[in-house]
Amino acid sequence: MPEWDKILSNPEKFKKWKEAAVFLDKNIKCFLEFDPEKGIKLSGTGAPADRPETEPADKPLSGIPFAVKDNIAVKSFKLTCGSKILSNFVSPYTATAVTKLQNNGAVVIGKTNLDEFGMGSSTENSAFSPTHNPWDVKRVPGGSSGGSAAAVAAGLVPFALGSDTGGSIRQPASFCGVYGLKPTYGSVSRFGLVAYASSLEVIGIISKTVSMLKNVFNVMKGEDPLDHSSLPAEEKTPAGKTAKIGLPKELKSIELYPSVRKTLDSTIRNYKQMGYAISEISLPTLEYVVSAYYVIATAEASANLARFDGIRYGERDFSAENPEELMLSSRNRGFGKEVKLRILLGTYVLRSGFQEQYYLRAQKIRTAIRKDLQKAFESVDAVLLPVYPRPAFKPGSKEMDPFSQKLADIFTSTANLAGIPAVSFPAAVEEGLPVGMQLLAPPFAEKLLFSMCRDYEKVFPSPNPPDNYFNRSI
Amino acid sequence: MHMEKEELYTTAYMARLKLSETESEDLEKAVSRMLEYFEKMMEVDVENLEPTTHALLKDNRLRKDEITAKEQTSEKILKNAPELEDRFIVTPNVL
Repeated sequence: MPEWDKILSNPEKFKKWKEAAVFLDKNIKCFLEFDPEKGIKLSGTGAPADRPETEPADKPLSGIPFAVKDNIAVKSFKLTCGSKILSNFVSPYTATAVTKLQNNGAVVIGKTNLDEFGMGSSTENSAFSPTHNPWDVKRVPGGSSGGSAAAVAAGLVPFALGSDTGGSIRQPASFCGVYGLKPTYGSVSRFGLVAYASSLEVIGIISKTVSMLKNVFNVMKGEDPLDHSSLPAEEKTPAGKTAKIGLPKELKSIELYPSVRKTLDSTIRNYKQMGYAISEISLPTLEYVVSAYYVIATAEASANLARFDGIRYGERDFSAENPEELMLSSRNRGFGKEVKLRILLGTYVLRSGFQEQYYLRAQKIRTAIRKDLQKAFESVDAVLLPVYPRPAFKPGSKEMDPFSQKLADIFTSTANLAGIPAVSFPAAVEEGLPVGMQLLAPPFAEKLLFSMCRDYEKVFPSPNPPDNYFNRSI
Repeated sequence: MHMEKEELYTTAYMARLKLSETESEDLEKAVSRMLEYFEKMMEVDVENLEPTTHALLKDNRLRKDEITAKEQTSEKILKNAPELEDRFIVTPNVL
């Protein structure tokens, strides 16, 4: 991407870019911390002015700026998770995925906003400020990686990192008209990702182009001794243009917003025209995905978030007179409503007497969902699904209250339960808003997803919102 | 399934959350709504299904019990403590 060439090393380019980013972010509010100079210092490339402009770009991501969701650790930057309880926490170390990118020349320029601890679909659940969609600031950017998706869509960075537990990369990518990859579970180290639901989540990428998505993934992937659930990179050879796409017949009876239905139809048409074969498959467990997902995710969250007790780090209630009172009060003051809801639900489904009815049953349904997909992948190479039943909505809207937002995770959380890779790609702009579609593939078949997205990108590249960095810099 | 207020408070205490009156009213409704939705899972025949804990999992991996950190982070970790006395984290009296 030539437009990013020397953006950090050429003082004139750097100044122009930084000013535009600060200006655009006033309306979007995608950053919780924006400090490119700190990132440049950390990357060991020296201050922008000190760096010779002639320095060869020998590393694959040399001099490329990127933003990191604020639940992923970057040394010396804050790590707030969008939560009051961590509002002053400064990370003492860096996540493996980020270190790998830094070692390949990429530079962290800031931390992006999110729904508190990744819990939400709109970035309204951030304790600090909501983020606004660059396509229409009166709408949400999606979530929970809303800050990262908005930053990429506004053209402030060519890519950003997010985390995806039930759709938190793919849904905001769809709402903002950019690419979002949820890699195979374990293919990218989770060391340095603040845990929400450990068996479901993975660090992934939001980007403006498919080639950037691919390059960043290739740098980040691989087994990490610091994450015992990480897996060595396997590579599946893509089937190429002969790849078969499966379309779940259950989609016919699921209500979709008209622009999403229309985009699904046009995507099928376009892929057919490119020579892909489309055939019907069945995912009978699709209607149980959301309940199984929320039982498992909240159960894991209740255990993972037990560590925030106000004792060793984080916000503390200094008026407490004993350690228990300190914990109760610090947690109550530090967590937002959605986080409390999920901790309560998770604690409840794990209580003795209820485990079998909820948690164990959800884990068994998870097996059924995996089997459904395994069966589908016997006859097709990839599965096509919408990302979300509707495009970006307005904050606080009645039809998309927190409960409806959870039900709408139906298409995304499937991939998390099965551990398989999935990608959200821009497929249309309808009524002034981008609409994304989703492709799912068997474990480690990211290469196939990249090649299928690349084919679609030739027909429909990531669209630019009306106000963005590039039309400002021209 | 509706969650009674008493159940909610018991669960909240187990999770070490002290809820205010207004908060508990909202959360009672929200938790009950989700639990009702979870009832849908009862429709599925799970008779011959093994539970999945992780979708893709390798065998348990062990490492040697030794310090592997490449850099010293203890001072930086202590910097995040709410209250310190020398290198000790201060808490209210336990007894």
